[in-house]
Amino acid sequence: MLEITNLTKYYGDHLAVEDLSFSIEEGDFATLLGPSGCGKSTTLRTIAGLIEPTEGTITLRGEDVTNLPPDQRNIGMVFQSSALFPHMTVKENLAYGLKMHGLDDEVDTRVSEYLDLVEMSGYEDHKTTELSGGQQRRVSIARALAYEPDILLLDEPLTGLDRVLREQIRNEIKQIQREINVTTLFVTHDQQEALSLSNQIIVLNNGQKEQEGTPESLYEHPKNRFVAEFVGKSSRFTGQPDDTKPSVIQNGSLTFAVDPESIPDTSPNTDGADVTLYVRPEDVVIDTSSTFQNEFDATVSHIADVGSHSEIELELEDGTPVLVEAERFPDLSVGEQTTVGFDPEDVIVL
Amino acid sequence: MIFRNLPVPTSVRERVTPRHLVAFGLGWLALFFVLPILVLVWQSLGIGTGEPLSAYQQALSGLYLWTIVRSFYYGIATTIVTLALAYAFSYFVVFWTSMKNLFLILVVLPLWIAYIIRYLGIQLFFSPTGPFVDLFGTDFGFLFSTRGVILGMTIAYLPFAILPIYNSMNAIDRDHIHASRVLGAGSLRTVYSVVFPLSLSGIVAAGLIVFILSSGSFLAPAVLGSSENFMIANMIERSYTELFNIELAAALSVIYTIILLALIAVFNSYVNLGEVFENI
Repeated sequence: MLEITNLTKYYGDHLAVEDLSFSIEEGDFATLLGPSGCGKSTTLRTIAGLIEPTEGTITLRGEDVTNLPPDQRNIGMVFQSSALFPHMTVKENLAYGLKMHGLDDEVDTRVSEYLDLVEMSGYEDHKTTELSGGQQRRVSIARALAYEPDILLLDEPLTGLDRVLREQIRNEIKQIQREINVTTLFVTHDQQEALSLSNQIIVLNNGQKEQEGTPESLYEHPKNRFVAEFVGKSSRFTGQPDDTKPSVIQNGSLTFAVDPESIPDTSPNTDGADVTLYVRPEDVVIDTSSTFQNEFDATVSHIADVGSHSEIELELEDGTPVLVEAERFPDLSVGEQTTVGFDPEDVIVL
Repeated sequence: MIFRNLPVPTSVRERVTPRHLVAFGLGWLALFFVLPILVLVWQSLGIGTGEPLSAYQQALSGLYLWTIVRSFYYGIATTIVTLALAYAFSYFVVFWTSMKNLFLILVVLPLWIAYIIRYLGIQLFFSPTGPFVDLFGTDFGFLFSTRGVILGMTIAYLPFAILPIYNSMNAIDRDHIHASRVLGAGSLRTVYSVVFPLSLSGIVAAGLIVFILSSGSFLAPAVLGSSENFMIANMIERSYTELFNIELAAALSVIYTIILLALIAVFNSYVNLGEVFENI
């Protein structure tokens, strides 16, 4: 459906995107995820035709569109700022794209159909400047979809909205995407958005692809430290592999038991090179009675109840923080001595 | 209150209030602006001369009437040409060059030079011994003619048109333009449907400024025109300093001002000027 091959973009001497390749299948919801300045927006705008790539090709529906102007690509795009035309009403905004696609006869039916889809019926004659931030995003999504583009591009469309509204519109986007099954490419720096929306995530950093895969595979099998730390929360330990015991990582007084097969080949076991261990908060258990292969004394340093569960931060003897996701209102208090435990299979070694 | 943070003696602090400061400003305006205009209007009526309002009769007939018509005709022509040039220039500076500041300095720089010098420069440029005639063998009728006066005013007032247009165009969110392109509009259609309406407030403001300045221009017709190109300001000056007809000069001034205000009022009924000047 969409294929990016060896995309490179220089701004003067600054390399924004380096040799990036990925592809999206029909009906997929893909996300470009990365910190600000990683090149994700540049990539999106290159696909839209708003930025000319330095090198590489963009293929849409089997057609090379690299040199086509934006108006001939049949793309729908939602901008960070909504970018609704302030001198037009809601209806005129939607009609603009429809007319440009030669759908003059269908303006009335499509406008009501797509405003209905984003639950904005009845706002046809409102000025876009009178709408709230959330309403503007909705209209902007309707405008991008009304002429049934081949692909929908979303450039951090939830920026600037409060948390509740963010989640609400996020869910609506997902629902709309399922309903009309439009191939979608979403850009965000928010890993939670990426994990909850997409079935394919491309993690970018410094203009390069770090990893590509399903949310599950990124979360459970990150390929490198950047992905492990950027996608999801985790406790982080360092240590040296033990020559004699391949299933053990040593760090001073702490000894970690790991799955020996999870130790990557790239970190040689012999010369005492550092490896980093990650454990997800939901894999750690606070319990003084259970027996785990990895069990450490710890002191509770912070308890945050976030509603559905509690996030507890503890400190090991050497001061290393450990994050635990526990039931709500745990029977613990800050400063309390306890133990934490986790299984070797739950340790990600990188 | 006004002197809260200043070391002002209490006696002064108690006697001078904001009301006094306002009174000073308004008094200045009344004394040197409102009062002279009232005197001028009184003079124009010619009361006590035995022939009251005769100056208005004269001002609205023959040569004088034609001069009034010519003034507004030149004003409209200059406004149209200036707006076209200013729009093209602003578009170039906003969307095509990375050296915005350099071009903006070049726009403002001529304002440092007196009008008379600039008009004389244009006169020399088109003169029979000037570089233009050297190059083309003719001045294409630019000297001492309608087109010369309009050309001169266009050049003189261009900065006043560029600045508001540049401002409103530069304030357009680039994503509005990008959105238009992605929605399927070509670049010309985007200029017509997005850039133009979103910079309209600058165009209206620029048009108004140029129209007022050029309709009342004195130096351009005096330096670049012949007596056939005289505008209202030249007629007022001549009535006053050569014919010593103060009533006529005053009547011409009053008529000109009323027509100008009426034109602006008519314009305001189509375009809400209050909104326009708020948006600049």
